[in-house]
Amino acid sequence: MMLSEQSIARMKEVVTKYPSRKSAVLPALTIAYRQIGHLDDDIYNEISEAIEIPAVEVAEAATFYTMFPKQPRGKYLIQVCHNISCALLGADGLITYLEQKLGIVKGETTPDNLFTLISVECLGSCATAPMMQINNDYYENLTRESVDRILKELTEQAQAEDEA
Amino acid sequence: MADAVENKKNIAEGVPTVTLTIDGRETTVPKGTTVLMAARGLGIHIPTFCWHPKLKPMGSCRMCYVEIEKMPKLQVSCALEAMDGMVVLTDSDLVKRGRRAIIEFILMNHPLDCPTCDKGGECDLQDQTFAHGVDDSRFDFQKYRFTEGTEGSTFDDLRIGPEIVLNRNRCILCYKCVRANKEAFGEYDLGAYERGNIMEIHRAPGRQVDNPFSGNLVEICPVGALTNTDWRYKIRVWLTQTTSSICPFSSSGVNTLLYKDDHQQKIFRTTSRPNDDIDDGWLADVTRYGYQIATSPDRLQTPLIKKDGQQVPATWKEALEIINKRLNEIKDKKGRVCIGGIVSPSLDNATLHSFSKLIRVTLGSNNIDYRTQYRMLPKEPENVYDAMSARSFKISDIDDSDVIVAFGSDLVKEHPNEYLRIRKACNFHSASVYSVNPYRVKSADVARREMIYKVGTEEVFLNGLCLAAIEAGMAEGGDLKEKISPSTAAEAAAICGVDAEHLKELAAAMANGRKVTFIAGELVSRSRERLCISSALANLTRLLGLENKGQVSILPHYANSFGAGKLGLLPQPPEGIRNALTELWGAWPEAEPLTTDGMLINMKKEEVNGCIALGCNPVMLYPDREFARESLEKLDFLLVADLYETETTGLADVVLPLASWAEYDGRYINLEGRVQRANRALKPRFESKPGYEIVEAIAEQIGDKLYESSDQCEQEISRLVESSNVQPLPDKYFDVRPAEEESDEEYPIALFVGDDPHHSGHLTEKANSLFNFCGEAYIEMSSELAKKLDLKEGDSARVESKVGKIIVPVRISTTINNDVVFIPRNFSSTTVTALLMRKKRTDRVKISKVVN
Amino acid sequence: MSFYSPVRTNAAEVAKSDRLHLFKYVEDPQQANIDTFVAHGGYVAWRKALTSMKPDEVREEVKNAGLRGRGGAGFPTGIKWGFIPQASTKPRYLVCNADESEPGTCKDRVIMERDPHAMLEGMAVASFAIGCHLMFVYIRGEFGHCIDVVNRAVEEGYAQGYFGKNIFDTGYDLDVIVHSGGGAYICGEETALLNSLEGHKGMSRIRPPFPAVEGLYACPTIVNNVESLASVPHIINRGSDWYKSLGTEKSCGSKIFSLSGHVKQPGNYEVELGYNLKDFIYSPEYGGGILGDKKLKGVIPGGSSTPFLKPEDIDVGLDYESLTTVGSMLGSGAVIVFHEDTCIVWTIMKLIHFYRHESCGKCTPCREGTGWLERMITAIEHGRGRPGDVEKIESVCENIMGRTICPLGDAAVMPIQSAIKNWRDEWQYHIDHGKCQVKTNTEFV
Ligand SMILES: Cc1cc2nc3c(=O)[nH]c(=O)nc-3n(C[C@H](O)[C@H](O)[C@H](O)COP(=O)(O)O)c2cc1C
Ligand code: SF4
Ligand code: FES
Repeated sequence: MMLSEQSIARMKEVVTKYPSRKSAVLPALTIAYRQIGHLDDDIYNEISEAIEIPAVEVAEAATFYTMFPKQPRGKYLIQVCHNISCALLGADGLITYLEQKLGIVKGETTPDNLFTLISVECLGSCATAPMMQINNDYYENLTRESVDRILKELTEQAQAEDEA
Repeated sequence: MADAVENKKNIAEGVPTVTLTIDGRETTVPKGTTVLMAARGLGIHIPTFCWHPKLKPMGSCRMCYVEIEKMPKLQVSCALEAMDGMVVLTDSDLVKRGRRAIIEFILMNHPLDCPTCDKGGECDLQDQTFAHGVDDSRFDFQKYRFTEGTEGSTFDDLRIGPEIVLNRNRCILCYKCVRANKEAFGEYDLGAYERGNIMEIHRAPGRQVDNPFSGNLVEICPVGALTNTDWRYKIRVWLTQTTSSICPFSSSGVNTLLYKDDHQQKIFRTTSRPNDDIDDGWLADVTRYGYQIATSPDRLQTPLIKKDGQQVPATWKEALEIINKRLNEIKDKKGRVCIGGIVSPSLDNATLHSFSKLIRVTLGSNNIDYRTQYRMLPKEPENVYDAMSARSFKISDIDDSDVIVAFGSDLVKEHPNEYLRIRKACNFHSASVYSVNPYRVKSADVARREMIYKVGTEEVFLNGLCLAAIEAGMAEGGDLKEKISPSTAAEAAAICGVDAEHLKELAAAMANGRKVTFIAGELVSRSRERLCISSALANLTRLLGLENKGQVSILPHYANSFGAGKLGLLPQPPEGIRNALTELWGAWPEAEPLTTDGMLINMKKEEVNGCIALGCNPVMLYPDREFARESLEKLDFLLVADLYETETTGLADVVLPLASWAEYDGRYINLEGRVQRANRALKPRFESKPGYEIVEAIAEQIGDKLYESSDQCEQEISRLVESSNVQPLPDKYFDVRPAEEESDEEYPIALFVGDDPHHSGHLTEKANSLFNFCGEAYIEMSSELAKKLDLKEGDSARVESKVGKIIVPVRISTTINNDVVFIPRNFSSTTVTALLMRKKRTDRVKISKVVN
Repeated sequence: MSFYSPVRTNAAEVAKSDRLHLFKYVEDPQQANIDTFVAHGGYVAWRKALTSMKPDEVREEVKNAGLRGRGGAGFPTGIKWGFIPQASTKPRYLVCNADESEPGTCKDRVIMERDPHAMLEGMAVASFAIGCHLMFVYIRGEFGHCIDVVNRAVEEGYAQGYFGKNIFDTGYDLDVIVHSGGGAYICGEETALLNSLEGHKGMSRIRPPFPAVEGLYACPTIVNNVESLASVPHIINRGSDWYKSLGTEKSCGSKIFSLSGHVKQPGNYEVELGYNLKDFIYSPEYGGGILGDKKLKGVIPGGSSTPFLKPEDIDVGLDYESLTTVGSMLGSGAVIVFHEDTCIVWTIMKLIHFYRHESCGKCTPCREGTGWLERMITAIEHGRGRPGDVEKIESVCENIMGRTICPLGDAAVMPIQSAIKNWRDEWQYHIDHGKCQVKTNTEFV
């Protein structure tokens, strides 16, 4: 069992909110992803059991969306918007800059499992381009300087958490 | 053309219509008809990929474009409702360009590996490219290839189920497979994952595509993306010939086509032969793969005779001489009555009828029965039961029934075809389905309400429905209340362990329904109390006037059960049939009639000394295995004809090889009373012979030719079939006083025995494909019960009843309830009938874990 | 923390204006709190509608105001509400489309993050107008903070009796569910959104039936954009005549435009419909001119799905009609500006990648066509174009345009078609020389 009791309980609660049980699929996927950090066949089956929706429907929905990756990712998932408004203001350069700073290419995770770098479609932050999302947070109007600072802060934060 | 006829029929019923013009021709169709169907009615063919006549339109492939006057964009005709005054062009330049573009898009990433593709020659994509495409591709990039999971092979061949291979590169994403699976079959073992142009069809996470209807997915795939292992790489379709046949494994009489090679004398596959009156073109896997029992090399090759306790091959001549000699010996020694005839209700009319004449006229016995799997049948005609099981019933009337009740039936296993029909009624007409069973069954997935009654309380439940209807003032009831017990619906509900409100709800649904279909299944027909239950059902039918607005029937189980009944293969057929037979044959034996039960009892007492078992296997089927075996062992002479060696042929003095349904022309009567023909596809294999030839040969040997010609026999059959019409229900209520249920604390768990969805009858385990789906028996139990017994999936369980014990692997079921287990019959390796007791109503067992 | 995005707005100007209204309080850090919202006149319209109006009066008012959908299609909101079959006894649903994913568009996010009650109040009024008792907000999953803010606002609304049972003692019940998406642009398309909300894959549905007749759970459903709904309370408060006096004759009211790309001052700005596009880009209150004072190359006026305008066409009103006359559309109101150092093939490559990635895969032309276009355009951008490619692209575009289930197919090809029409030479140069005529500067500083 990968899902925690708490996650399962929350899924079961979500189910009751909607007029139709099946609507709980996306919320349940979100709960599972938040807890585990990725999803796979076994987890689909666990979700299926928790919300009583066939596993195939859970898997179909999960793989349709971009937010439920099958591969585990680093502690910080850096998603750089590479879409037009950001691209006009240097998103491609930003990705290269991050690749160099982190020593990985797009799609990879740093060996210390801290950062995963991917590029994504428009995140709805076009007037504050270029931007990136790290886990739940948006970082906008980026410059080399701010990127340096952000990465430093996150690394320190992780170290502090490790020590604690 | 059939579509046009259908349209007309609907119009005649006064349905509102619309009139439109298609390619310059005017047509009037019922409102709600799609442009595609309206065009088909005119014989105008519009090409499609994603459309399927029995599924809701998806409108995704865009192949069915048409141009509509005043609409600037091309429209998809499969999803477009025909409107009054519409002017439709199905073949304009714009339409042609549109179609060509679709073909071009589809072919972009299609591997075009037609030379090695099994769909070649019957591929929609091939045909439509030929008809609508261009011969050159403008796509000059490397095609997208699925490789994951294929271990580097250039062919993307993934075995996604016991019999299904998936090639994702060929898939054109019409989604018909996934849609049919979910919508038409209610199955969730196949899905479409990812999105956009990397979307892929694949099995469900951690599962196999092994549902009881999985073969249909292959048949409806418009390309070679899904193929089945029986057909793959064996033969090209254009080298085969087809024979129309019907399914011999269930009572629906589903129509099929057998694909064979006359030269090789082999059948290669079965496909549907859509008949909307019966099957909608869907086949259960048993129907699709069952042909393999005809072609298996394990078939009996020659007659066998017992010499010095050993069965050895013999010629037909030798065998027939022995049969004649031994039957005469018995006759001389004991008189005529000591011979019994047991026959399979899966055999064709001619075989059944001539067998009947052999037993009754030539051998002068009244001991004849086709009901081997039932216990404790009364000797007398079961009038109410017979009446209730031969009500007029039309499969297609399920479609527009608004209330459907499935009572005492594990539908998917017993009546898969009707289950699909019920699903359709739900999908297209929002029918309200009620599933009423002593344990939870898969088919309850379509039910608006599922009711689980306590094991063995069928008649109380039905009485309860009557009482609920009377109490709520929905029906008059007359003297009914005095004739039944308990006396209130609430009491009945309590005895059955169901919610009284639900009982009321169901009664109201039936009372208020516009058109009601009530299906009772094997839990009624196989019950020791079936007379009592059918009386209760007759009361309900009369009380609510169900026959005036729908249909009520206890559905027969085997391919020709209905025919066997109509032809009077019973110890005491109903009066009308008996008279007709007497008239035809000029004689009726005086002897005391015996049922299967009675015959077995008398064999044991050595009062019946000879027996002919035609195509049936009582040792495996009779609900008390040891009893049946011991009885048969006492016989002086046992003759068995079958396709394979079985438990029963093992006991026989003479064994005759029987031809399969695919090897002769035979007629069968389905559960609606419809006579249908299965044509001969192959010569009888080895030295086997069709049943009626065997029967005639025996009669001739005895010196009493039954018929001058097969026509003579057919004529008799026709007269019988035509003469015995549906009996009206008597105009009175029956006494229904439920018996107390016996319980036994030592054996706390109720055992149900029935078919596995991939097996039907004692032979299907010989079909390789079906064996691949399910090769051994299992015990199905809830996870809670398993936990209590410390059992896990795959563990061995020891199952014991008062009379026997067996060991079977455990299967955890998410649907079954906790106090019930299910074990499939028809597996030679698991003798489940050894647990059954012929006198009991309910089989009870105890279960423990086998520790090795 | 009550708001998060550092995006530039014209809140100060709006606050001074008697006509602009949507952005009045978006710079107030307390506006997301219900008390502040109420102090600023919030939930007055909701009370007014529920306690003193009939549903059809609300519908009439919105219809008369001439409010048109701000989500992209521009369909008149009041008329859409009227499509709910009055005889239907099924439950009705309102779904607020907060999936904001159209490249260039970032306006709904600001409303939700900074003034969530404005949206919720509009939803409540709309629900009442259509007889709905359970309304949904479908927010794209990436907007984690928005989801939190809206959830908090919903809780506040329940706590103070604006939602729940027997609101304002009228006996009217209204519940709210906040639903987060999973990352898919197509879920902004209303039928795909409904499928997604039902727990299916977010694939679009064929119409008819339209959602107003058979939408969520096969019940009558209205889908409206965040901004459309946020405009509704203002109409109820100040009347349709007032609202109609804003904007142009046929494009009434004000709208938030997201300005991005090569401008000095990107941001979200509320202006009246009909405001001049050129002024919008150049005026110091808004765009402030082209980045680096370069020359303008082109503008996408309504989100990445709308055709390009050339510099000579931008002296035009930002309203539904005027933009059509110059061959483009208002769309979601996302103005993307390109200066002279932008390669058009590179730009289109970015866009077609997006549409290929976001195609749901249901219908053939969109699924296969976008894939083919992406490969051809990428090949050209990477110097592997071949003679005839441009014509082939045009032909593929033609085979997609108007032939798909939902408008995503059209959205994917319209910018391409206009880019070829406007800058055919540049495409040809690319093919002939295997490189850009103007190299896009993608440097990150
Ligand atoms: C591909 C596609 C994406 C869309 N994305 C959005 C979106 O993100 N937000 C939105 O409000 N409307 C979007 N729409 C428009 C919706 O389908 C719908 O028209 C709108 O939500 C209706 O609301 P309105 O009438 O208030 O504008 C999109 C449409 C299409 C075809
Ligand atoms: S596998 Fe066949 S039936 Fe299924 S989507 Fe692909 S082409 Fe259609
Ligand atoms: S057959 Fe009509 S769209 Fe596929």
